[in-house]
Amino acid sequence: MIALDLPPLVAGFGRRLHDAGVPVTPERAARFAEALTLDKPVARTRLYWLARATLLSDISQRPAFDRVFAEIFGTRAPEVEAPERESRETAQDERPSTSREGDGGIGAPATGRGEALEAQEAPVPVLASDEEVLRSKRFDALDPAELAALYRLMTRLEIATPKRRTRRAQKARRGEHIDLRRTLRGSLRTGGDPIRLARKRRRIQPRRIVMLCDISGSMEPYSRAYLQFLAIAGTNAEAFVFATRLTRITRALATKSPERAIRRAAAAAPDWSSGTRIGEALRAFNDRHGRRGMARGAVIVILSDGWERGEPELVAREMERLSRLAYRIVWVNPRVSAAGFAPRVGGMAAALPHCDALVSGHSLEALAEVIDAIGAERGGEPPPIPEPEAEEPWGSATPQPGSSVAMPSGYGPSRGRTTPGW
Amino acid sequence: MNDLEYYAPDVETLAQLLATADYLVDEGLATSLFLSLRLPQPLLLEGEAGVGKTEAAKALAQVLDTPLVRLQCYDGIDAAEALYEWNYPRQLLSIRLADSSGDKLSEADLFSSDYLIRRPLLRALEHPGPRPAVLLIDEIDRADDDFEAFLLELLAEAAVTIPELGTIRATHPPVIVLTSNRTRDLHDAVKRRCLYHWIDYPKPQREVEIVRRRVKGVSETLAVSVVGAVARIRDSDVQKPPGIAEAIDWLKALELLGIVELDAEALERTLGSVLKYGDDQEVVRLLGLESLVS
Repeated sequence: MIALDLPPLVAGFGRRLHDAGVPVTPERAARFAEALTLDKPVARTRLYWLARATLLSDISQRPAFDRVFAEIFGTRAPEVEAPERESRETAQDERPSTSREGDGGIGAPATGRGEALEAQEAPVPVLASDEEVLRSKRFDALDPAELAALYRLMTRLEIATPKRRTRRAQKARRGEHIDLRRTLRGSLRTGGDPIRLARKRRRIQPRRIVMLCDISGSMEPYSRAYLQFLAIAGTNAEAFVFATRLTRITRALATKSPERAIRRAAAAAPDWSSGTRIGEALRAFNDRHGRRGMARGAVIVILSDGWERGEPELVAREMERLSRLAYRIVWVNPRVSAAGFAPRVGGMAAALPHCDALVSGHSLEALAEVIDAIGAERGGEPPPIPEPEAEEPWGSATPQPGSSVAMPSGYGPSRGRTTPGW
Repeated sequence: MNDLEYYAPDVETLAQLLATADYLVDEGLATSLFLSLRLPQPLLLEGEAGVGKTEAAKALAQVLDTPLVRLQCYDGIDAAEALYEWNYPRQLLSIRLADSSGDKLSEADLFSSDYLIRRPLLRALEHPGPRPAVLLIDEIDRADDDFEAFLLELLAEAAVTIPELGTIRATHPPVIVLTSNRTRDLHDAVKRRCLYHWIDYPKPQREVEIVRRRVKGVSETLAVSVVGAVARIRDSDVQKPPGIAEAIDWLKALELLGIVELDAEALERTLGSVLKYGDDQEVVRLLGLESLVS
């Protein structure tokens, strides 16, 4: 390491990192080069830390960074203490390298997912009558071209969450508070006499929306359509997918092109179509994100059929924790619309007492209800819910496809039993 | 040779200096702090709560023997609270005085630096030297996006623009340390302008050294058993794993109670200083308090 030929080294390293998914800007590369001149990297560990401090911008990039560093400089990254908790997190944020191999498919698609993406490259004209059909067609019965058309219809949906008041004030003619700063400023114009009172009020902002989408095997017919739904949710939304583990895909979805967004999201999650561990996923969400503030005062949307492999007790406990943090929890379960549905599946039954609304969202029409449920304010008094017949499973009492199902009295949530569409 | 080169000629020297301030760093953090001083470049520190993100800035200020200017972020913080505010009552008073005494007072007089209330960011920029102040922007993730955007000029140029006065450029650009608890993603534009370091929990051996430096005169055996218990709690199923700060608090509590050996009973009495959630205490009790101190 006596005469390092700097520019090629830096450029090569930067390029390899970029290929591995660590966004290395020229600015960062230049900073790395400068760092190398400040302190001679006598040992490989020093080189590692100089590179890491300058080139990394998030801890989730660490696995990729370590891999590339080892490839180029011939050793493992130096022993860095990585407690269990943290390594779990980074492992899950890691983008698998398969994502770059240009496979358009989502994980291991059962039928024609690959073609689905191809088909979407070419625009499919949608006639009005087709649109009508699409609106009510179940998501699991859609073919690839219809999915593409569906996306365009979905982009017309507007998802609005309830508002919250922020600490930041804005000027308002009839605001509730007097804005001393502007009042006194204005008074300088009138010789120091505050003649006109300027007013301000606390700014109102839409609440954050957090979507957790189940991508396990049992949800597979719906997951593509739901991912599209996640992709249109916009800038105020956080998106996660889970099957056996939880993956944050907010960043992957943050792109203009829906195709790219969904491809990137698919590549980010390693556990497509595997089993479901809702409880584990919820716990990971609560521990890692919810508790830190993401769920606080937010509207949580869980898209899952509630078929849980793990213990339902864990689901119940984590749902309770989540409901203490969140403003409202909306559970979207495509199987609600099926005749004879009853929330007897372990996970669903355990989660239900903590949900504020349970809606089906199995078709585009039904998604409108989801959007209503998201936009609903937390009610003080729950709306009256008729008692179901004693023996009859309550789910079948409302067999209308597209209708939402109210909570039976036995499952009464602790608060705000607003079930839109009732 | 400027002062920063004197204090941080290389990574090792800086690490030793920080150790004299009772702040022990591993090579990764030392390298990041070194680069932040010498490039110079703001440093973004992330990590679990209580691993010493804020302490890093304090130790840096102590080592450089300069003031630490701290800006605690919160939802809704804005320029008037972070940067500057005009002293309106004083302006009004001056107008009245000028009125009664017949003095001439122009608007430029009113918006001069006499009437400026300096908030933390401005104070850090205007620090006269000889060494730059250390500016700690704490928990930046609590502020909103607008505030991040407002910080960009400061981070990139070490300058701020006040409409009435013009651009104020620091003669000694402050050493800027930002901390975040990752409650939300920071904007790329902020990250782009910063060096980045993730602070891990230290290895047990190192943690013992750290807590013993912070709680003077405590026996090594007690420190070792506390650090061991804290490590086991971190590995267990608790929602809020205790950081180094909690380990230090706990040790202080034990010392105050005159406990020299950590056993299940002592643990039960002092559990509240290390676990702050009822649920978490329950988790640990189910594990068995004895298993933590064995």
